[in-house]
Amino acid sequence: MKRSLIVLILASSNIFSLLEIEIIKGSDNLSKVAFIPFGIEESVNENYGEQISTLIEKNMLLFGEFENLKKAEMLSFPDSEEDFYYRDWKIMGVDYSVIGKINSVNALGNLNISYSLFNINRRIKILEGEIVGRENNIEGIAKIISNRIYEKITGLKGIFDTKLAYIVNSDAETYQMCISDIDGKNEQILFTSSAPIMSPDWSPDRKKIAYVSFENGLAEIFIQDLASGERESIQALGMTNSAPVWSPDGKSLALVVSFSGNPDIFSYSINNKRLVRLTNHYGIDTEPSWSPDSKKIIFTSDRSGSPQLYEINTQSKRKKRLTRDGNYNARGRYFPDGKSIFFVHGNDGNFQIATKKLSSRFIETLTSTSLDESPTISPNGNIIIYATKDGSKGYLGGITLDGKSRFSLPVKNGSVREPAWSPLFN
Amino acid sequence: MEPIGIFILATICQFYSCAQNVSDSVERMQYASVAGEEYLEGEKIDTNLDDKVYFDFDKSTLDADDKNLLEQYLPEIRKAKIVRLVGHCDERGTREYNLALGERRALEVRDFLIIKGVSGKKIRVVSFGEERPIKNASNEKAWAENRRVEISLY
Repeated sequence: MKRSLIVLILASSNIFSLLEIEIIKGSDNLSKVAFIPFGIEESVNENYGEQISTLIEKNMLLFGEFENLKKAEMLSFPDSEEDFYYRDWKIMGVDYSVIGKINSVNALGNLNISYSLFNINRRIKILEGEIVGRENNIEGIAKIISNRIYEKITGLKGIFDTKLAYIVNSDAETYQMCISDIDGKNEQILFTSSAPIMSPDWSPDRKKIAYVSFENGLAEIFIQDLASGERESIQALGMTNSAPVWSPDGKSLALVVSFSGNPDIFSYSINNKRLVRLTNHYGIDTEPSWSPDSKKIIFTSDRSGSPQLYEINTQSKRKKRLTRDGNYNARGRYFPDGKSIFFVHGNDGNFQIATKKLSSRFIETLTSTSLDESPTISPNGNIIIYATKDGSKGYLGGITLDGKSRFSLPVKNGSVREPAWSPLFN
Repeated sequence: MEPIGIFILATICQFYSCAQNVSDSVERMQYASVAGEEYLEGEKIDTNLDDKVYFDFDKSTLDADDKNLLEQYLPEIRKAKIVRLVGHCDERGTREYNLALGERRALEVRDFLIIKGVSGKKIRVVSFGEERPIKNASNEKAWAENRRVEISLY
């Protein structure tokens, strides 16, 4: 097995950008893609051609799922189908080639861009598209083209325009709730506090984030609007409120309310502020999360004596135990297809990210570090990012579920934790 | 052996009676006043006693040493107007579960104090889960120090 260390330091225009993705281990049989510099018409800024193909290339290589043919090794630079010869790419071991052309720019600064994707082994064009976008949003245009290419090659939705929320602990007294583009660019600090912040979760429309803040001395759930920055405590009843997660329709939060120190799972309707009890047990019930069809909620309970995962049918209130192997299985989430779950699995004193099919008993451990937690999955179900530690410093790790790649997202300053992957942009 | 068994039974009974006799809205009012140390009436009282009890991993039960320590503390606790119990966990396991576990630990101390005759009305309970470690390191010693309930008197 090839073990190479390829460090991708992403060029960033934003000096506050904290996260950088470093590919730790790539597979040795990745598909090879040639990102050929785009052609340009005369009226267009000549830098744009190479800029856009380079942006697409960076996106596609972001998680270590592909390898590229370097520009210096390319035998030709076609920008149209007429000039494209399969043999030039076949001979270099290329599986897919991307070509394109910036056809025009109008007075309003709108670029008209066409692009094509070729399958070299099958000798056919498999994708052709045209896109109009603003000159000053060339990164956004590149993300859309990257998404289409990624989807055509893998059959999975592209995720290059998704975002990540996370908590940064820059020193012992400073906690920050942050979001950034999935490539680490355009970081925004949503909230800074001298008290802990926990459990960020995106609303399905990506317009709000719910999280827990201790700013008033105890765990309290806030909803923050990303456009206005306004934040509001939901002020549910009870001693502490924690672990908020949005329902798939965005109308409710599943959350934990502790009355008299007994944490149970509730559903909280955001509009009418109504609290509906879902569990009622003297043990710890926490870490709820909805199934994609909204019919079930997975949660952690220590009712058997150790933390294990259960699911409850939100209508019938019937409960089912999901995990039995090991004495620590917690913070479960469903895969986007609803057929499997991922969670934190304690094994011999190590806490690692694991998955399990709902139809099977078998638990598969994905990670090999010992303090892994807070896993979050890409909306296409192919990548998990989680929090882990190196010494006292927290960083984020990632893994593609097809086993092609492992990567890490360290921060420059302090510790980062509790990643939450945004939904797809609708 | 038998007195311990009876004691545990008493603790459990106490826990249930507490949980069920207090209505939710009263609880809200009571705990709203926990909001930050700055809101607590009066000055923090300095004692020369150890102000922490420690726990095993994923456990919230008090052992004999913890109970001895709390017994020594009782005269001071009885004199105080407010007793603040803050539960904490080590970094292992998941954050939200640890938040609940820290609460459970602080409640265990509260229940012990109530059994010893301390009025539940002056006890404030809060959990920081694993968010406020004393030792920011990943080893057995640091974990053992971080799994604690801190007692402060006002």
